[in-house]
Amino acid sequence: MSGTMAPRHEKSALNAGTGAQRILAPQGICWGHYEVAFGAFVAVSLLNLWLQKWIGYQAIALVYLLAIVLLALFVGRGPILFSAALTAIGWSFLFDPPPYSFHIAGSYDKMMLVTYFVVALTVGQLTTRLRAQREAEIKAKLLLESERLGRTLLNSVSHEFRTPIATIIGAAEGLRATAGLSAVQENLATEIESAGARLNRVVQNLLSASRLQSGQVQPNPDWCDVADLLGTALRDVENLTAGHPIEVRKGPDLPLVKLDFVLMQQALGNLLTNAAVHTPPGTPIEVGARIEGPDLVLEVSDRGPGLPADQLERIFDLFHRAPTAKPGGTGLGLAIVKGFIEAQGGRVLAANRPGGGALFAIRMPAADAPDLPEETL
Amino acid sequence: MTAATTETPISALLIDDEPQILRLLTITLEANGYRVATAASGQEGIAAAAQRRHDIIILDLGLPDLNGIAVLKQLREWTQTPVIILTVQDEEADKIEALDSGADDFITKPFNTGELLARLRASLRRADRGRAEEPVFRAGNLAVDFSRRRVTRVGQPVKLTATEYALLRLFIQHAGKVLTHRHILREIWGPEHEQHTQYLRVYVTRLREKLEADPASPALLLTEPGVGYRFVEA
Repeated sequence: MSGTMAPRHEKSALNAGTGAQRILAPQGICWGHYEVAFGAFVAVSLLNLWLQKWIGYQAIALVYLLAIVLLALFVGRGPILFSAALTAIGWSFLFDPPPYSFHIAGSYDKMMLVTYFVVALTVGQLTTRLRAQREAEIKAKLLLESERLGRTLLNSVSHEFRTPIATIIGAAEGLRATAGLSAVQENLATEIESAGARLNRVVQNLLSASRLQSGQVQPNPDWCDVADLLGTALRDVENLTAGHPIEVRKGPDLPLVKLDFVLMQQALGNLLTNAAVHTPPGTPIEVGARIEGPDLVLEVSDRGPGLPADQLERIFDLFHRAPTAKPGGTGLGLAIVKGFIEAQGGRVLAANRPGGGALFAIRMPAADAPDLPEETL
Repeated sequence: MTAATTETPISALLIDDEPQILRLLTITLEANGYRVATAASGQEGIAAAAQRRHDIIILDLGLPDLNGIAVLKQLREWTQTPVIILTVQDEEADKIEALDSGADDFITKPFNTGELLARLRASLRRADRGRAEEPVFRAGNLAVDFSRRRVTRVGQPVKLTATEYALLRLFIQHAGKVLTHRHILREIWGPEHEQHTQYLRVYVTRLREKLEADPASPALLLTEPGVGYRFVEA
């Protein structure tokens, strides 16, 4: 995500909770590390008891310090604090004369104990912090790498799909147009062609979702004729909506509105496809456009079974499919609608209609009308 | 599919790195009376175009060696052979750049072969006609008499403003071809208005209201989403 897209996408269904936040979240206290710290303390103390035959009690403190630094390479800050305290106490009890008492005789030894504790703690903390930073960097890099890999994979897979799909559709259509086919042959060619078209829609939706998720959707708003937008979107999906009577209701005097024509057309196309797929053949689909206050409102509504009341909020989520939805469909279409609309500063909502059926509304801010040239006949 | 009626076959050069697309196009075009030559890379395509004259070139934008636009620009340095661009969805900026760099038309994969053949015919017809303007243009119910600046629809005169008439004439001169927003704005309103898409929207709506049987679903003046407009002849 980059540039101006980031704030708008925070609430987008497609960008909810990136992996980075989940992976880099603070972990819970790891008690195992305290056990390791304690074990290390016991081991090093035994070593020191053996070593003290050759080295003085002051050098013993340096052995403890070395152990702390090594330990800091593996455990967190809590266990390091624990170890620093434990070794300081251990040193004063076991090695600082008189042995086996907490009494510290000279001011030199007292100062040494305090300095030891501070140095052990600081070195330990610095080491763990450095390690944590490095781990975070590696994780972030890995995450970035895996996201990039995912995108590259999706892009190349989609490309690898597109060529055979184009060939299937083109060949089936060419076959269908060949003279002398029997009715069965012609029907089969038509089936191949429409299956190819369906596959193409799936690939297109996957690509759109991946573009949205990686922040590659950069809206290119320009003045649009809303009536032209509706007409173009309807024509684009007319094969799919053929079984449904379509009623278009346009408000009077729709102004020019600054929108990304292509994104709007695809969003409307997805809503129309959705309505056509999820409602019984022959039921009407209504398309509306009107100005309401400062907004342009575009509506696609049907007379199908409607939406489960508890699903209205989640229906635009990526890969979410209503439990009542018919088999088939990827759960991408509505998430793409939401992504494309929100990327342009608009909103989408779903509702059930009085009298039955679902209603999807797109609200786009309709900026002030542009300056227009004056000319008369 | 119907065989082309021309006596000498039309020669088409296909430049695409996908063997499958090359095969499909070769089969389709040869079945329609074209003579087909193929090239699998940009360099090979430029060499093939220089070696022999072709009537039309179909160029894929996503080539491995040279960017399709670069191939197009090189071709346009020395040849005016019509070039049709093959592209994929979501690449409006590439389509616009290709059209502004001298491509005659584009077609989006997966394409309808019937539509591709219609685009080829329209481009060939335009190239054939050259710059010679016929005094009267007819498309469906519409007739435009350029010599008398008279426009009629179903025999009835249609009153157009000077700008509307200029816009219609520009569309007719490039009938069948996509004109980008920028191109139209520059031609009709001047280079300083290249960004004023709103002018174009308003005038296209007015032209449709005056010329189309059903302005809500136009049959003459089609919108090419994100790219421009196409005036269809038939």
